[in-house]
Amino acid sequence: MSCLKRILLVEDSPQDAELTLHALAGSHLADDVIHLRDGAEALDYVYRRGRFADRPTGQPALVLLDLKMPKVDGIEVLRQVKSDPNLKTIPIVVMTSSREEGDLLRSYELGVNAYVVKPVRFQEFVEAVKQIGSFWAMVNEPPPGSLGGVTHASQLDRMQPGDA
Amino acid sequence: MVSPLAIGLVEDNPGDARLIEEMLHAPPVEPFQISRSSRLDELLLRLKGESLSVLLLDLGLPDSQGLATFYRVHERAPQMPIIIFSGAIDEALAVDAVAHGAQDYLVKGHIDSVLLKRAIRYAIERKRAESQIQELNDALERRVLERTAQLEEANKELESFSYSVSHDLRAPLRHIQGYVEMLREATAGKLPEQAERYLTTITAASVKMGQLIDDLLAFSRMGRAEMAECRVPLDRLVQDTIRDLEMAINGRNVVWRVGSLPEVVGDPAMVRQVLANLAGNAVKYSRMRNPAQIEVGCAGEEDGRLILFVRDNGAGFDMQYAGKLFGVFQRLHRAEEFEGTGIGLATVRRIVSRHGGRVWAEGELDRGATFYFTLRSAQSLMQPAAT
Repeated sequence: MSCLKRILLVEDSPQDAELTLHALAGSHLADDVIHLRDGAEALDYVYRRGRFADRPTGQPALVLLDLKMPKVDGIEVLRQVKSDPNLKTIPIVVMTSSREEGDLLRSYELGVNAYVVKPVRFQEFVEAVKQIGSFWAMVNEPPPGSLGGVTHASQLDRMQPGDA
Repeated sequence: MVSPLAIGLVEDNPGDARLIEEMLHAPPVEPFQISRSSRLDELLLRLKGESLSVLLLDLGLPDSQGLATFYRVHERAPQMPIIIFSGAIDEALAVDAVAHGAQDYLVKGHIDSVLLKRAIRYAIERKRAESQIQELNDALERRVLERTAQLEEANKELESFSYSVSHDLRAPLRHIQGYVEMLREATAGKLPEQAERYLTTITAASVKMGQLIDDLLAFSRMGRAEMAECRVPLDRLVQDTIRDLEMAINGRNVVWRVGSLPEVVGDPAMVRQVLANLAGNAVKYSRMRNPAQIEVGCAGEEDGRLILFVRDNGAGFDMQYAGKLFGVFQRLHRAEEFEGTGIGLATVRRIVSRHGGRVWAEGELDRGATFYFTLRSAQSLMQPAAT
């Protein structure tokens, strides 16, 4: 499978994933997302192992990471990625329902690049996701080795062959 | 038949030892079983195999001198009552030994049979009472530890409960609102007016539930938050509160009457919350009045605490429901009349009771309400404890 996308969405809730993709579609970024459903899959993806062993090299320009997930949770993903010299430059934005101080503190201690509490109100949610998506995937210059450097949505189609 | 008392005698001077044994055997004859040692190591070896009811100990032995003799024996057999023998010169040493756990001391040359036997009985009884107290203390200590562990466990459970409330209950709300919005977009302009109204109601209901969840969470956090008590100048806090309410007052005619307010003792942020909630309610429930009159003042003392109050001339309430006022999510007005979730007064009560005070209210339908709360006066800090 060709699954080299600029945004890696790690989210176990199908509804939250659909809402996020809906919001990203508003910024023409929806086709540039690979959606994984738990932390174990996310780690397989960034380490290029398991069913992602054959994926092309390169890391996403942004990981959108939920915290509370089955198997491996977001904090563990954050811990592993940010403590690995080869992966720690990958920008990770935590998107979670939790505004618990403990989660915030641990995430920042582990080196999260941003922490966003999912707004309950839909308009605010859409706005937040749009802003995050456009900033990290389009405005921000990602670390070397990421899929980036494309600032116009029109160029995306040529870059991304899309899933078969 | 009474089982014989096992008496240990540690005395290196054969003359002294014989004298003491004679006193022990003097009439009235009691079932004493005496085992004598003349050196400390001999005694310590003996204590490995047998236990003694009481030990008569001379501190000056060939292989150990002074308090060290006592310490080594006491350490080996802490449950065994020990009576120290001392000469007239080293009596101070014997007193020291008593301070460190020996039951008694006797001065050589000043003992007779009666005195010795009585000292032995007393020493045994005292030691028994002592170890009973020790046992009770240990049991108490264990119980405190158990209870503390249970409390900590309950607290942790509450912690994880509120975590799961904040995380898990918000997600479905977001989904409800999100999918309603996506449905609107997908059907833009094609739904009948009534269906649009249904969608609006669904959204409003889920927004309301979100508010309830947030309020409940804040309420539960506030109950567990650490309190930092210090002197709180109420008059300044009231002025701040009135200023903060400007938005809610929104140009209405509100007449504030603020009496002279003393300093109180409390957590500043929490006391501020109490004032904000009570004054906020007063503003809200007096919105039909022109002018609205709101009074903040001090109505005397109760059990050494100041009685403070916030009074308004607003909607009031029926006194027969006064008990419901301070319950979580309890409301005496319909949401169409006065908005709110019913957490404000519950928060007030929780804060005031955490400060050791109480809250109550008086009111009459359509004739206003007065809310009272008590807090410690800062003056109580200045007064000496006993007057």
